[in-house]
Amino acid sequence: MRYEIRVDGHLSEVLTRVFPELDHVVMSGQTVLFGYVVDEAHLYGLLARCQSLGLRVLEMRQLPE
Amino acid sequence: MAGLEESGTDPAASYADPQGDPFLRTRFVIPARPVTFLRRERLVRHLDEALRTPLTMVNGAAGAGKTLLVADWAAARDRPVAWLTTDAAEQGPGMLWAYLLHALRASGTSLPAEIGCPADASRVPPNLLARLAAELSTRDRPVIVVLDEFDRVIDPEIADQLEFVLHHAGDGLRLILVTRTEPLLPLHRYRAAGDLTEIRGAELAFTAEEAAELLGLHGLRLPPHATHGLVERTRGWAAGLRLCALAAQENPDPELYLKEFEADRTTVADFLLAEVLRRQPPETQDLLLRVSVLDRFRPELVNALTERTDAGPILAGLYRENAFVEHLGQDWYRLHPLFGEILQAHLRVRSPGLEPELHRRAAHWLRGSGALTETLCQGAAAGDWEFTAGALIDDFAIGWLFTGLRSDELAELFARMGPEAAGPATDLVRAAGDLSRRDLDRGLRHLRRAEQGLTAELGLTAGPGDPAEQALTAEWSPAGEEPGLVAARLSCALLEALAARLTGAPGRAERAATAAETLCDQAPAHLLERHPELTALLLAHLGSARLWAGRFDDASAALSRVAGASAGASTALAREDSLGRLALIDYLNGWLGRAERKARAAVTETERYGLPQPSGSGMGRLVLAAVAVDRDDLGRARALLAEAAESDPALRDPVMEAGRAIATARLHLARGDTRAALEAAERAVPAAVISPWAAGQTALVVSAAHLAGGRPETAFEVLQPLSDEQPACAVGAARAQLAAGRPGAAIDLLDGVRSEGGAGPAVTVRALLVRAQAAAESGDAVSSRRLVAQALREARRDGLRRPFVEAGPWIRPFLDAMAPRVPATDRATPGAVASDGPPLPLVEELSGRERDVLGRLALTMSTEEIAADLYVSVNTVKTHLKSVYRKLAVNRRNDAVRRARELNLL
Repeated sequence: MRYEIRVDGHLSEVLTRVFPELDHVVMSGQTVLFGYVVDEAHLYGLLARCQSLGLRVLEMRQLPE
Repeated sequence: MAGLEESGTDPAASYADPQGDPFLRTRFVIPARPVTFLRRERLVRHLDEALRTPLTMVNGAAGAGKTLLVADWAAARDRPVAWLTTDAAEQGPGMLWAYLLHALRASGTSLPAEIGCPADASRVPPNLLARLAAELSTRDRPVIVVLDEFDRVIDPEIADQLEFVLHHAGDGLRLILVTRTEPLLPLHRYRAAGDLTEIRGAELAFTAEEAAELLGLHGLRLPPHATHGLVERTRGWAAGLRLCALAAQENPDPELYLKEFEADRTTVADFLLAEVLRRQPPETQDLLLRVSVLDRFRPELVNALTERTDAGPILAGLYRENAFVEHLGQDWYRLHPLFGEILQAHLRVRSPGLEPELHRRAAHWLRGSGALTETLCQGAAAGDWEFTAGALIDDFAIGWLFTGLRSDELAELFARMGPEAAGPATDLVRAAGDLSRRDLDRGLRHLRRAEQGLTAELGLTAGPGDPAEQALTAEWSPAGEEPGLVAARLSCALLEALAARLTGAPGRAERAATAAETLCDQAPAHLLERHPELTALLLAHLGSARLWAGRFDDASAALSRVAGASAGASTALAREDSLGRLALIDYLNGWLGRAERKARAAVTETERYGLPQPSGSGMGRLVLAAVAVDRDDLGRARALLAEAAESDPALRDPVMEAGRAIATARLHLARGDTRAALEAAERAVPAAVISPWAAGQTALVVSAAHLAGGRPETAFEVLQPLSDEQPACAVGAARAQLAAGRPGAAIDLLDGVRSEGGAGPAVTVRALLVRAQAAAESGDAVSSRRLVAQALREARRDGLRRPFVEAGPWIRPFLDAMAPRVPATDRATPGAVASDGPPLPLVEELSGRERDVLGRLALTMSTEEIAADLYVSVNTVKTHLKSVYRKLAVNRRNDAVRRARELNLL
């Protein structure tokens, strides 16, 4: 499954390395992380990672294949 | 043992210690508040509500100030608060409750030892929670328990269990959960009932006034609009404000600086942390990045990572500034959880590939300080398996792989070990893993390899001899021997003994035990004391191997030492195992009452510690089943056999298999199904040597089957060769002789039985009945009556019934005549004997609720426990019990359960 996670603010280069499995793009005060998510466990893991980094998740959605 | 304190010497505390591994005291300490901590009265007042509601939840993002708020509030209480910082490493309910019980005791809450303690990470003893709740519910003042970082607890079972205890503890417990995510408890229900105090993220956020005050504590005075802007940008996030203050503090124009921050679009934590980090001197930056691989640390450990000596002052300084680190007391610190993650990201960027090396250094330091569990975690994280396995073996902790709270965790940890890791220690760990899964071939292969490795290290050329022999018993050269080698050889001895037990090879077990004894003398006493499970397991294996060989006295000597050892979770499995086997010895000798008492003790041990499999080794239930057959309580025997079906693979040895075969075969015999009995009894039990009693018991079943089939000659021939050695077989042979029409030979056989054998009623009563039958057949009714009366007397105490049923129709008139004169033996009177027919039907059906109560009664739950479990009052349970008794026509709980089993209601 492909997902994108939109978080508030610009993610620094260092922080994007915490999500090595995802691509990212920075736009208008937000960062969009996107890529393949293996399963639900991975999905919740990503959310937990965002939380533990103090990121504010604005949106999370599945992308069409 | 730097900083890692033993959990105290009082028995209750050490009792709660699940593995002899010192609990990290820091987990139970209320975190210290930094000097710049700002107490916010509105939150304190809200938190005071926690004293009135059973459940309180404080949730908010990382760095929202949850922990400090609750810690500050807890420290201001006029009574101790039990504090537990949960850990991601322990996932299972058993581990959490072990720590929670310990936190309660550490806070000064006295709990009776009967509550028990989990001995397996993934399970909680069935009644422990009910006992704990019942205990708490009797308190005048509620016990306050704080679970910090509860978001790490992801097992839904734990939420259910907390809910259960909270519900049944009533006003005796106030639970405060500090968490980033909502727990899986049914919050809506608590909320609706007004039983929940919740402080959420929005409430934790700093107002502009509070932010101004906080910045003031950092020496920053800003105009209101600037503060307002900051609160807006950080959304009142405590950690963000704190970092702002730190970053701005050193700036010549803080106001301008913060304006720039406001305008920046980078995520707050990321930006601020990078800023604050950049302002630290290079040594501090380096230190912060390196410690990010650790959960907790102290200056010496940090020095080991940085290879410098300045950690003490740097950490103290960082704590004083309230930057990055939190103080846990006793010189232990941890990174603020939020910063830990970000710092680790920075470390990976700045020094790629350094992480494993840092883990390795930490592992080495921790090993030197005696913190074994943490050493193993760090060693595994470093991927240094030779070291990690070596640390476990050298600490004499190999028993941890078989028993106790950490066995699952360790199995998982070492499962990551690849085949390339070499050395005796890794082979020993592999062998232990294989044997605990009862994979004998692989286990023995790894054990051989470990032994060859050890032989080589001992400086012996691999001769033609047995490597096990050499590795274990090679002479000791006092100079130049490493103590680690003693530990490795002792671990070898343990695995040898286990392998010997599993393969039914008593000679090999003896050799291993002898070697172990010599090695124990050379091992440091304090290490052996810390690992009582090692000796306990060794003796249990030795005793079981001896038992298989039929050396009952020697076996009892070894097993009694284990069974009599002091209670504790780490030896619970070995104790249960040994008690079960002692029970089997009593049963085989014909002492049903003693067998039953020991088997019950074994089962109790299992339930008290919640041992892994539903029945631990399962031996206790097997013996109880066999005893039930001799008491002609067949329904119960069948139920017990079914319960004993699952047993720990590492303890499934020939003794166990033979025991199961005997109990099953006897049950089939009693039910008149000789074919099934023969099938069960004659199933081959693979073993290195033949066990005399297993052969004897099989022959007894075979003989009884022939007798039932009207072939007394064959019945006799089967037992004849064994009748010299085993009284039970002699009695069986005598019965066959009598059936074959040779009463004289039968009496001769009985006279020849050695009386010093110490045979119990199950044997002697049968012998008396053979004599009585012989007398009856010869027309000597007086002697016969006297013998039957004597048999009844001897059978009475153990409730032995089966021999009278087996005896055949000739005994009926004697029993009928005697019934009125021996009322206490009612269970052996003809009326009871006639219970082979269908039991009396139930006059009135049980209600659903009555069945619920009855089912719990069968689990030996007390009235209070049943009430707690069914969410009803004790009086309601009593009412149900009364009508259950009435409907079943009994007046005691034991009888109710027995009767219910007969009627297949359970």
